[in-house]
Amino acid sequence: MSEEKMITVYIMGKAYQVPFGLTIMKAMEYAGYRFIRGSGCRAGFCGACATVYRKKGEYKFRTALACQTTAEDGMYLAQLPFVPANRKEYNINELDPEKNVLSEYYPEINRCVSCNTCTKACPQELDVMYYIQAAIRGDYRQVSELSFDCIQCGLCTARCPAEITHYHVAQLARRIYGKYQLKVPEHLEKRLKEIEEGKFDEEIERLKNMSIDELKSAYVQRDIEKIPRGEVSDE
Amino acid sequence: MDIELVEIPKWNCCGAVSSLTADDVMHHVAPIRNLIRVIEMNEEGLVNDEKRLIVFCSMCFNVLRRSNKRVKEDPKFLETINSFMDEERDYDGSVKVMHFLEILRDIGFYKVKERVKKPLKGLKVSAYYGCTLLRPRGVGIDDPEAPSIMEKFIESLGAEVVDNPYKSLCCGSYHTVGGNKELVAERAYKIINAARERGADLIITSCPLCAFNLDNRQELTKKIHPDFEHMPVLYFTQLMALAMGMESETGFDGNYIDPRPLLRERGFLEG
Amino acid sequence: MKLIGGYTEEMRESIEMVEKTRDERMKKSFPPMSLEEREEVLNKYHPDYKPDKKRAVKVGPNKGDLAPHEVVDLLEAYPLIDPKEIDLKTIDYDVDLLIIGGGGAGTVAALWANENGVPAENILMATKLRHGDANSMMAQGGIQAADRPEDSPAIHYLDVMGGGHFANKPELVEALVKDAPFILKWHEELGVQYDRNPDGSYVERPGGGTSRFRLHSAKDYTGMEIMRVIRDEFRNREIPVLEFTPAVELLKDSEGNVAGAVLFNMETEQYYVVRAKATVLATGGFGRLHIQGFPTTNHYGATADGLVMAYRAGAKLRDLDTVQYHPTGAAYPEQIVGLLITEKVRGMGAQPVNKNGELFVFPMEPRDVEAASFIRECARGNCVETPTGMKGIWLDSPMIEEIEGEGAIKRNLDAMYRMYKRFGIDMTKDPILVFPTLHYQNGGVEIDAESRTSVNGLFAGGEVEGGVHGKNRLMGNSLLDYNVFGRRAGISAAKFASKRSKPTGLNLKHVDSYIKELEKAKVPKERRSPMLLPDYRGEKVLARMLDIF
Repeated sequence: MSEEKMITVYIMGKAYQVPFGLTIMKAMEYAGYRFIRGSGCRAGFCGACATVYRKKGEYKFRTALACQTTAEDGMYLAQLPFVPANRKEYNINELDPEKNVLSEYYPEINRCVSCNTCTKACPQELDVMYYIQAAIRGDYRQVSELSFDCIQCGLCTARCPAEITHYHVAQLARRIYGKYQLKVPEHLEKRLKEIEEGKFDEEIERLKNMSIDELKSAYVQRDIEKIPRGEVSDE
Repeated sequence: MDIELVEIPKWNCCGAVSSLTADDVMHHVAPIRNLIRVIEMNEEGLVNDEKRLIVFCSMCFNVLRRSNKRVKEDPKFLETINSFMDEERDYDGSVKVMHFLEILRDIGFYKVKERVKKPLKGLKVSAYYGCTLLRPRGVGIDDPEAPSIMEKFIESLGAEVVDNPYKSLCCGSYHTVGGNKELVAERAYKIINAARERGADLIITSCPLCAFNLDNRQELTKKIHPDFEHMPVLYFTQLMALAMGMESETGFDGNYIDPRPLLRERGFLEG
Repeated sequence: MKLIGGYTEEMRESIEMVEKTRDERMKKSFPPMSLEEREEVLNKYHPDYKPDKKRAVKVGPNKGDLAPHEVVDLLEAYPLIDPKEIDLKTIDYDVDLLIIGGGGAGTVAALWANENGVPAENILMATKLRHGDANSMMAQGGIQAADRPEDSPAIHYLDVMGGGHFANKPELVEALVKDAPFILKWHEELGVQYDRNPDGSYVERPGGGTSRFRLHSAKDYTGMEIMRVIRDEFRNREIPVLEFTPAVELLKDSEGNVAGAVLFNMETEQYYVVRAKATVLATGGFGRLHIQGFPTTNHYGATADGLVMAYRAGAKLRDLDTVQYHPTGAAYPEQIVGLLITEKVRGMGAQPVNKNGELFVFPMEPRDVEAASFIRECARGNCVETPTGMKGIWLDSPMIEEIEGEGAIKRNLDAMYRMYKRFGIDMTKDPILVFPTLHYQNGGVEIDAESRTSVNGLFAGGEVEGGVHGKNRLMGNSLLDYNVFGRRAGISAAKFASKRSKPTGLNLKHVDSYIKELEKAKVPKERRSPMLLPDYRGEKVLARMLDIF
């Protein structure tokens, strides 16, 4: 690349010149920050790099993941190193899914005034307020579906005027739904029984004792399940 | 009666009555957001040019209509709400919030009567209005001093109306979850006894909180007043379902004072 | 630079070719390679097969074994701490079980140790970043388990051995494939949600080199879903964790058993001494070493710390000569270069095609073969070049919507869709550009089927250990690995700890003697390890840095 286009970002108020086209995370590193906190998976899955920012000339207080957002000229940046969120301990085996466990463990969800600030803060663009509404109604399935992509960064909680810890409520709901409302598939139960009965032991023992050449030929000769579509048949 | 009710996708709790006790913009956000959903339903073709929002619960009705009234009367306030909810389309005040009883009145109670399969002949029913269906003035659906809409409803189902001087006396409302359950139990004592003295078999109401207070609190009432006799308290739609022959929809399982023995005895329920 | 739907005009011209050949390609296919063909493309094009990119280790238990320069540089390096400066008389944490690493393997080990009689307060987890900041959280595609009637653990076994070039340790593969269905059941009991068919059975898809459909996913957030749940369970049991406090050296007792570690609080720069009856190493792999300059899919902390510490303590390593390059790392746009594009994208039908829109390889070869084929295609001059000079192969994602119907990408590949959308690309309409990226440490600290390392008192689970995958791991076996061997490490460590009294005579003598070996081998003094964290600070800043505070 020829000359780099530079932009100015304000990291916790201090101005730095960084090349255009970097993520916020890489821009901060370019500027000289070496993260201890604030950098985890660097790919949008862990929520370690929750960032609050404002753009010059705007009043809007925005949120983002530093690793998934391009730095722009005039951004005022700060990271959220930790969220001291309320989380309840529970025994998953002793919950009664017929009751509204969410409301019992997190009664503060009933303080929701539907201001929607959580939804606006979510870097995953989840419908956070609506899943809290579903939580108030004890609808585990809906909370589960709406919150499934939650990376638990805590930005919703940090912005909530009702002090709700949305992501912990959602985690509880998902586990209840997964454990009590989704059934263990029959084919899995059947297989577990077969393994316990030692059905595959002999065959695996035989494979374990094969020479590499024998194994190779068994490998080459194994039948490969056809993808029920045209594009990868053996023609 | 040719009414089709379409649920608002993504409705949120309206915030219930108590939230309007403080004059706080934040508390109007929840109800207005639901009204915006109604406009979106029109835009998205879920309903066609239909801005009437029908509410069954008197309390939700009251909250939604009060917020609606407030923003219609105060454009500046509406602007504040709209600019706060900048992620939503603007609200324009065009939704009409209606209680289900109002819709029945508009259509005509004679139409209800036409659909009744099992007229509740001889059943003596007392209407309980409570507060939120009638007050404040300009929001309520009937004359707060002498309401008659529920009586007309009762008559349309073929039952006999029993008047109650305490039909719009407050049931004690949120005291039921606070430290003053006794106050609520005393109100229940007063209201139910007045109905009984005039010969009522049961009471109907259109507010879930009133229903809870008059029904479930009877346990405490009985403890305070051993002479007290229980009386079933029904949500108005339960009575409607019974009269229209939709027994499976009556949901009597949820009532604290089970109305079924009485209804069976009178021949309105089988078995 | 003018961008249309996220792509430059030059790239758009190539996309047109891809679109033009799509209908024809939907009907056609490409045959899988024979073992000989695989060997050929690997030998010529796979980065592992370049002899000048590796060297033999000069010190320690694996003296003479080959490993990438970047790894050897860390093994042949002096410790961060001076053993003389560490006061081992004051014990800060005295526990039954120390777990080093807060990713999937460490969490699973803690839960099963707890399940097997170690009380929560007698466990300590020490982790470099936050609990859960790990590759485990980032795995997208899924987890293998042979649970369908058409499948069996024996078939799974054969797939794993073939994928690993028959170099895997058989007893470990046996444990992997036989435990797999039990792991799913355990997850079910904890409330993990796997994708279901309408009849309640699992949705199972193929992976590269698997002869059956046995990949279980939770959309493309599989790793996150499992990690969130097991971490939640861990928190419910109130097991203590020290975050941002990595281990920097293992400790031994007077009998030579591993007996804890020296931890370093990165925020206060203070050290802690942990005495433990048993120690589980669950520190993950070396993906952040950018071997051969490759970009990486790995999390910030994947710097091989565990390998280094275990090696100094005398643990035998294996299969470190091979590195897994995932065939499909993002090659464009620049902001996400190297990030993982899950194999599930191919599993759902997207074909890899060159700049002329031609399919040139069977889309579901094992990862090393697929990656080498991509590199070969570029060597043939058939790559797409990005504005920053990166090379790439198209992954024809819109095919997925044609095969499985509109909305299939958003339903099954939400993370991918969201990531591209953030940078202006709609992968339901346009193909995405990919190139091999550094993904996984195939080998590691050698273990047996009980997750024991060659050093008494030290157990290992997850990416840090080696032997399970031989020379190449198959998709969906890393989530499985950390669950199977994390669990076995937890159980074995609990048993070991229960039979042992408190270790005495804590020492760092193994470090002293390792230093002597380094000196003898004339290793440059400035080379230090473990690395703890990579350094991405700008060159201009580093050039004017003062170490005075």
